[in-house]
Amino acid sequence: MNSIEIKNLTKKYKDKIAVNNMNLNIKEGELFALLGVNGAGKTTTIKMLSGLILPTSGSITISNMDMKKDTTKIKEILNVSPQETAIALNLTVKENLEFMAGVYQINDREKKINELINLFKLDEVLNKKAKTLSGGWQRKVSIAISLINSPKILFLDEPTLGLDVLARKELWKVINELKGNITIILTTHYMEEAESLSDRIGIMSNGSLIDIGTPKELMKKTKSKNIEDAFVKIVTGGEL
Amino acid sequence: MRMLNFAKRNFKELVRDPLSLAFEIILPLFLLFIFKQIDIPGDVYKLENFTPGIIIFGFSFITLFTSSLIAKDRSTSFLIRLGTSPMKSSDYILGYILSLIPIVLIQEVLFFILACILGLSISINIVYTILISVFVSVFFINMGILIGSVVSEKASGGIGSIIVQLVCFTSGMYFSKDLVGAFFAKICEILPFESILNIIRVVLNNNTIDFRNIIVFLIYFTIILVTSIIVFKKKMVSDNK
Repeated sequence: MNSIEIKNLTKKYKDKIAVNNMNLNIKEGELFALLGVNGAGKTTTIKMLSGLILPTSGSITISNMDMKKDTTKIKEILNVSPQETAIALNLTVKENLEFMAGVYQINDREKKINELINLFKLDEVLNKKAKTLSGGWQRKVSIAISLINSPKILFLDEPTLGLDVLARKELWKVINELKGNITIILTTHYMEEAESLSDRIGIMSNGSLIDIGTPKELMKKTKSKNIEDAFVKIVTGGEL
Repeated sequence: MRMLNFAKRNFKELVRDPLSLAFEIILPLFLLFIFKQIDIPGDVYKLENFTPGIIIFGFSFITLFTSSLIAKDRSTSFLIRLGTSPMKSSDYILGYILSLIPIVLIQEVLFFILACILGLSISINIVYTILISVFVSVFFINMGILIGSVVSEKASGGIGSIIVQLVCFTSGMYFSKDLVGAFFAKICEILPFESILNIIRVVLNNNTIDFRNIIVFLIYFTIILVTSIIVFKKKMVSDNK
């Protein structure tokens, strides 16, 4: 069953087309990675899919609900971890979790919060103000918060950007644990991240989705040893 | 209630900023105390006139720190995250306004306690003044929402400071407008701060109200309220483009 159905999705800004006539279906529980160079249209796509901005044309169906008609209902079943860390800096980690639990009107708040504390091993920073944490910890908290409403669909916009190798690997482990239960749409600049985590990869260039497939399919198609080479060949048309 | 949840978060953010509390509460208290000690001649420095001045001086810092909070929320991805949640525009606006009301009440109570210690007569008018001031504070909070929605975090401090200066020089809290010429007096009449101060003074001193002051205040109140809501909603969308 499809979790997300995108038909002819387009976003225009005056004279620029940020997303051009995108068609895509993402299955329930799938981890789908969107790859592309800067300005390819990945973040704009995520913003449209999460209801943050309206498309110029086209339709988005999420869990059989239309984004235009059922925006509020859809917003209750999805969550986003934005590119930049998105937490309240003067609140403690626990208060951040409690605040977001309040935003989503979670019934059994304590249980859900404890679940996230365990999953992300947040015990040691629980009572620290978010602004005193390292970038890695802030990112971890930001991602933990995005699971507060047990979303059916989770958008991770460059979740490991700026993290050191250990923190990145640790986060991959968490994302792998979530795979299958939640539909995850991931954007990243780290090719090995997409290769290691995703079921399918979509490659965007100049606002268009130019190729799509499993990591193996893309590598086979381009006769590449890894997804980075495959990506370069697809985006440049084999010129590099 | 999402609105109260958001208000609680905003309140925590504000009270955990020591600079905000120092300017919103301690500085006005200090001025009230020090001006009484200096004992400057003139009606504006009598406690029954100067305390209302201190109230709106404190409110001008409410504008400054509200704008700073909103500009800061906009500059981080915090509002993007909330934009993808089921929160509505009314939850944001009322959440910001409600978070400031306890600070306004703390200001008022402390200002009047000090004023009474310094010699202000205790009367029921103090309670009426607090009530009317809470309503007036909504105007200053909305100004903060408007400024914070339009400018960057850095610029919000500068523009907030201009509001503080305008309150000081055009409200009549430090000197009567008649002392500085017809042109400046006209500016004082056009801007809302003199009218606001007069309303608070009238309530505290049980004097006859000048309806021109009420009309000027209500016009500004409505314009700022409507504009802040429209601009905030618009910026929530345009910031995410």
